[in-house]
Amino acid sequence: MTPRTGVVDDALVYLNDPLTWTEPGGVLDLTREHLALTAAAVAIAAVLALPVGAWLGHSGRGAGVVVWLTNATRALPTLGVIFLLAAGGLFGNAATVVAAALFAIPVLLVNTYEGVRGALPSARDAARGLGMSDVGILALVEMPLATGLVGAGIRTAVVQVAATVPLAALAGGGGLGQIIAFGMGTQRYGQVLAGGILVAALCLLLDGLLALAQHFLTPRALRAGANSGVTSR
Amino acid sequence: MPPSSLPSTSAGAAENPWFSWDYVTQNAAILWQRASEHALITVEAVAIAAAIAIPLGLLAVRVRWLAAPLLSATAVLYTIPSLALFAILAPLMGIGRPPVLLGLVIYALLVILRNTVTGLDGVDPAAVDAARGLGLGRIQVLVRVQLPNALPSIVAGLRLATVTSVALVTVGVVVGYGGLGQIMFQGFRNNFYRAEIMTATLACVLLALVLDLVLWAAGRAMTPWLRGRAA
Amino acid sequence: MSRLLATHRSRRRAAVLPAVVGLAALLAACGDPGSAGGGSPEPEETGGMTAAATCDPVPDKELVVLEDDQKLQTVDNIIPAVNADLAESSPEVITLLDSVSAALDTDTLIGLNRAVDVERRTSEEVAQEFVETAGLEASDPSAGEGTSVAIGSADFAESATLGTIYGKVLESAGYDVTVTTIGNREAYLPALVDGAQVQVVPEYVGTLTEFLNKQANGADAEAVASSDLDATVTELTTLGEDTGLAFGEPSPAQDQNAFAVTKAFAEEHGVTTLSELAEMCGGLVLGGPPECTERPFCQPGLEDTYGLDFAEFRSLDAGGPLTKSALQNGEITLGLVFSSDGALSTSG
Repeated sequence: MTPRTGVVDDALVYLNDPLTWTEPGGVLDLTREHLALTAAAVAIAAVLALPVGAWLGHSGRGAGVVVWLTNATRALPTLGVIFLLAAGGLFGNAATVVAAALFAIPVLLVNTYEGVRGALPSARDAARGLGMSDVGILALVEMPLATGLVGAGIRTAVVQVAATVPLAALAGGGGLGQIIAFGMGTQRYGQVLAGGILVAALCLLLDGLLALAQHFLTPRALRAGANSGVTSR
Repeated sequence: MPPSSLPSTSAGAAENPWFSWDYVTQNAAILWQRASEHALITVEAVAIAAAIAIPLGLLAVRVRWLAAPLLSATAVLYTIPSLALFAILAPLMGIGRPPVLLGLVIYALLVILRNTVTGLDGVDPAAVDAARGLGLGRIQVLVRVQLPNALPSIVAGLRLATVTSVALVTVGVVVGYGGLGQIMFQGFRNNFYRAEIMTATLACVLLALVLDLVLWAAGRAMTPWLRGRAA
Repeated sequence: MSRLLATHRSRRRAAVLPAVVGLAALLAACGDPGSAGGGSPEPEETGGMTAAATCDPVPDKELVVLEDDQKLQTVDNIIPAVNADLAESSPEVITLLDSVSAALDTDTLIGLNRAVDVERRTSEEVAQEFVETAGLEASDPSAGEGTSVAIGSADFAESATLGTIYGKVLESAGYDVTVTTIGNREAYLPALVDGAQVQVVPEYVGTLTEFLNKQANGADAEAVASSDLDATVTELTTLGEDTGLAFGEPSPAQDQNAFAVTKAFAEEHGVTTLSELAEMCGGLVLGGPPECTERPFCQPGLEDTYGLDFAEFRSLDAGGPLTKSALQNGEITLGLVFSSDGALSTSG
């Protein structure tokens, strides 16, 4: 068995070496790549899920499908999807983005649906009374009221995607997962540990930053409501 | 010595269908073995997590100031991606089953704890009053009134934890214990054996659905009073 | 369903801050540059030599291995690795496994791999066929009566096939055999040393020697495996003795690292060996496992021993389908493959 007492020390040495960060292909470069992949995947998922979720929420149909979709994707193993994509000829960063986007879609879909759905019926009625069209109601009434949940959805999606990207390193993808793969391949378990810490730190950082952004971007009128609101059932 | 003449790939490979019953029948034994490993570690993890989270949830409802720190601590752990968590645990614990089990327990904790707390919180205050009025002590109220009423929420948490755990076990392949994930990885390595990857993925989803169904049925059995209405 | 949307923002924010502060404190003590021992993964210019003109990759379905004429690669002959206790109590096990070693050569191995990887037959079926054709059944069907042997293999087809062959041969001698696919070396080796769950594993001389070497002497230890089979086996035996492992005879069959280009590329530039490639071409794109940038048999070795000039390295997998596809699609010029890959055709 590999000696485990030195693993934590190795990890700290690895993290404290400035070269680890600044060298080409080092931590900073990989983090940039990781963030770029995350942004791309979330963007794709948003472009697909937000309009669909908003329209379904507005028309009130499709609740069953939305619920079923969320439950089904929760059971889907990420690695399975990544390997299937690879076996279908799509690997590297393209596959990473596709797989991550795939898993982000249900989150964004559900949250947008719920957000639009949850817009106060009285507000919707008032808008209809004013003669607004469907699209108008959606854009000017329901979406603004849905920002809280949509924002929460984007935040969950970003963190989830950032968490999915490292897995793709197993199939030739980039990002911080490479550090873990490298460590495994060279029997440097300190590096594996360091890689794990870096990925975890990135996800926590993103979550924290987005939480702050969410707090400040939610219109004050909605803030109090959102804070106490949707917990569980 | 490398082969003496220049080797080259033979162009005509056997077809590689996405699914093949032949594969399933020929490999039934190993599929069953991996599926059993997969199911067992999931059940074990959720059971351990429940054994920790439900009492913690009961505690958090009694000692109110504990609720927020407990929930945020588990939430932080939940945010850590599974690959990262296994990568952190394996060098410390050795590879194989132990780090995967611990990782699964950690992830299941948040879900079960959160659902336990909200379930207990959501109990009708009138019911609690009535029980107190009947002279029941605080612990008795907790166990005989609040807990049964919170069961639907707790069971929902157990179901959610189980389904996500089934998917997470596959990531364990990087630390040497991935259940059906091992077969997925094998298929990937063995020249993109599509039927192998697909079968393992489908088996994984099927396992999640079966376990979910079992828990749903158990939940219904434990809450006979809810069967009349739409729960 | 609303529970999916639970927002506990304020609570989570409270927890994130200490985490960020903690991380900052961890890194506050900055170490010396290079203290982690990692070198720059960027390829270096080969000193002194004028780099040859850049050769672009040429997509092609067929792949061709370039000869390792400077003997950079360590020998990776198949060798049975046995738990030392079992070897002592049942020496016939090693004798039987040696018969398997003797019956295998690289071409046969390629054939076995092709049956599984390309024709999609099971390891079980292929192993059975091989044992019958090569006449490997034991002459004494009761030699192993009463002894149980657990064979483990890594999670790729070749290892599984070899393990199953071992299993069938031992079974024919009366042993009570189980064959299990375990995982990678980090997973099965401790179990083999321990001996409770696994007692036999088909191994590779060079790679195992280096693995044990690094385990004993640290990740930066000087390499002891080489392209000399006898010398490496001697090193392996010594390392094995210290760990509790015994070994059989190495087989002529080898599965070692090899570097391939597409057939079209080889024909266009008229190269058959790695030295010729170094002379003809520069600006190559190398594809291999993530650790290739560090492994002496990989990028550093190719640069130092052959003077190859790489413009870029792509992290893919070790001789797996990703690297082969990348070669076929013209994404990389030179890729790491395994010399017993089922997709390679045997010498005519």
